[in-house]
Amino acid sequence: MNKLTAKIKEMFPAKNMVSAHCDGPCGVYDPASARIAAEAVLSMTKKILALDPGDGNHATANSLSRYIAIKEEQAHLAKTELLVLWTDYFKPVHLEQFPDLHGTFWKAAKLCSAVKVGVSLEHAEELMATIEKIHTMFWATKGRDVTYYTAS
Amino acid sequence: MKDSSFKELLLWLIRLRRRYRVTGASMFPLLKPGDEVLLDFRAYRRRPPCPGDIVVARHPTQAGLEIIKRVAKVDADGRFHLQGDNPDPTQSSDSLVTCRHILGRATSRFG
Repeated sequence: MNKLTAKIKEMFPAKNMVSAHCDGPCGVYDPASARIAAEAVLSMTKKILALDPGDGNHATANSLSRYIAIKEEQAHLAKTELLVLWTDYFKPVHLEQFPDLHGTFWKAAKLCSAVKVGVSLEHAEELMATIEKIHTMFWATKGRDVTYYTAS
Repeated sequence: MKDSSFKELLLWLIRLRRRYRVTGASMFPLLKPGDEVLLDFRAYRRRPPCPGDIVVARHPTQAGLEIIKRVAKVDADGRFHLQGDNPDPTQSSDSLVTCRHILGRATSRFG
């Protein structure tokens, strides 16, 4: 009997798949990961603006390159973290609670792009403020009062 | 879980069982990735799922995802706690579903 079913299985594997994964997401979400990346962007933006790009010094050019690379990397990371939070954690029921949820995330994602391609202190600070708003919404959906803080 | 008997094979042939291929390791050691099971999708027409049953259910929040788990507990309000068998917590997680999510009972291992 086993041989017969094994043969069928081998020749015609089942088309229906059923998942015995840990359900994919582990359920651990926290806007802090996006906030840390955005803070790094803000810090790099400040450092870039504090440098004089025309001083003809190799050390300055080197620092500038490094700051730009880190800023772009962290901006992209912040965007990824936000998109995961937006699409995986938040559910339609949260949209009823916060009708501007989609708008807020969209704005935050757009700001991630803006701080990545440009060097704008205003945009970097606006991104931080938007992430703080997301922090407040996120913890409200969990019924927890978690104080917002920044590392720097 | 028993291997498919001749009766089970017959029931599959007359489309009273549906075959599913398992992906992932949350039901290890009972089911390994690549194992196949037969599902009795009429199993719960007369009785509700019981703790211990291996069921295939629609994931409560991820549309289109079907999961295989063991019924761990039934709440008084009729909700079912589904659990993986794998003792490694990183390989398994719990789902809380209602009866309408449960598609049927896995009756045997195919092949």
